[in-house]
Amino acid sequence: MNNKNNNNVEQLKKDLRLTVEELSDAYEEISLLYHLSQTFTGLTIDQICDILLDEVEKMLDVKTVAVMLRDEDKNEAYTAVSTGLWPSDMIFTKDDNIIWNNTEKNRTRIFNNIKDTPYGNLLPGINAIFICPLIGKQKSIGTIITGEKNSGEEFSSHDIKFLMAISSQAALAIENASLHQELENFFLGTVTAFVKAIESRTLWTYGHSERVTKYSIAIAHELGKDIHFIEKLRICALLHDIGKIATPIEILDKNGDLTNDESIELDQHSLTGSVILGDLKPFKDIIDGIRYHHEKWDGKGVHEKLKGKGIPLMARIISVADSFDAMTSDRPYRKKMSIDQAIKEIVKHSGRQFDPGIVKAFMKIKDSLLPFASNV
Amino acid sequence: MKKVLVVDDEPFILMIIEDKLTKAGYKVITKRTTTDIIDCIKSDKPDLLILDWVLPGKSGIDICNEIKQNPEISSIPIFMLTAKGHEADEELGFKCGVEHYITKPFSPKALLHLIEDMIGKP
Repeated sequence: MNNKNNNNVEQLKKDLRLTVEELSDAYEEISLLYHLSQTFTGLTIDQICDILLDEVEKMLDVKTVAVMLRDEDKNEAYTAVSTGLWPSDMIFTKDDNIIWNNTEKNRTRIFNNIKDTPYGNLLPGINAIFICPLIGKQKSIGTIITGEKNSGEEFSSHDIKFLMAISSQAALAIENASLHQELENFFLGTVTAFVKAIESRTLWTYGHSERVTKYSIAIAHELGKDIHFIEKLRICALLHDIGKIATPIEILDKNGDLTNDESIELDQHSLTGSVILGDLKPFKDIIDGIRYHHEKWDGKGVHEKLKGKGIPLMARIISVADSFDAMTSDRPYRKKMSIDQAIKEIVKHSGRQFDPGIVKAFMKIKDSLLPFASNV
Repeated sequence: MKKVLVVDDEPFILMIIEDKLTKAGYKVITKRTTTDIIDCIKSDKPDLLILDWVLPGKSGIDICNEIKQNPEISSIPIFMLTAKGHEADEELGFKCGVEHYITKPFSPKALLHLIEDMIGKP
């Protein structure tokens, strides 16, 4: 009787140990999912896919992982990121086998011995694959494929639960990031169209804003600025001359020196630009970048005569980029300078018109700007 | 063998930590209430205290203050374990002398690594 009781107790202890182990594993996963849902916020699709790949590879301990995303226009699923044996350029069209079908039907499929199926050649050297759809709010946006555990074990129900949970989190994040990206592209497209409309008023400034944007971004990269700053700078540089919409065309096209009044009128464009965009309150730094891009480092600029670092950084960067492009482009009243000459002018005015720190950064990257310059 | 005292009112948290640390080779003492923590630290001399923020009776921060004001036991490192995830809370924890602030749900594996870094392997 005692022996029987002892056996029961031992069995209970064993069960409890196993339960606690399972509990611990489940808690590990909950923790990961909880932290991932926070981590995914605000990331790009590529960043989300990279994290997803890393975590799945680590948690499931598998030889191969691939994240496939659907391209609705092309009717195909392409490899966004992959590791192990998966070819990074693998694409499945709509007529293709299991990957597309499962992506389409939101189905999870496990082949613990894929060689025995018609898909045996899908991935040479891999015996078991596990396909899990990435299901967004309404439909599947892709699929995640994992191939064979390093231990050689079959995929377990535990693995399935984990992959499904992490996939649904990632899918929602990818979907959000994609919507965000679309909106951003639409916004940038609108801004660029707007800029082109303004520049089409006169041939002399065609392409100026886009070149100033390229130069400004290159300088900001050299200064080590982060992506948030650079994205704002992109808008600011694209729109820096938006105020010229109110400048009379006779002034913009004048073939000769401007009179004093005309100069004052032209100088107004930076102020006008900031007024036009004044209602975009959350973008104050962009508006200030536009407003002050004709201020000078020594305080002898136009309008408010801001000085040194009192001039916003975006404005100081655009000032150098703007001047370089203006000097290397033809104007109705003068011919363009050579690039060497323009660079010499920038250096000559460092500490007077321009922030010496920006000029220093400009000098480091100037060669990379040449392919974009107007007079090449 | 290095000893870790874990205080949390949620039994499954105690079970998870005990399982992870015991398997790693640490001796683990678990408590669900704050009643005799100070005495326990004095008598058992654990190498580390893992303390939940929200406990019945006293809060983890109260306990932490008591420990840090008692020279006999003030040198024990403390990990604060809690579902509170705000920066202001972290600051309060660090001001009380908490070494690490671990937000629930946490990774048992990561917790083990932190413990190894703090007090060394068992």
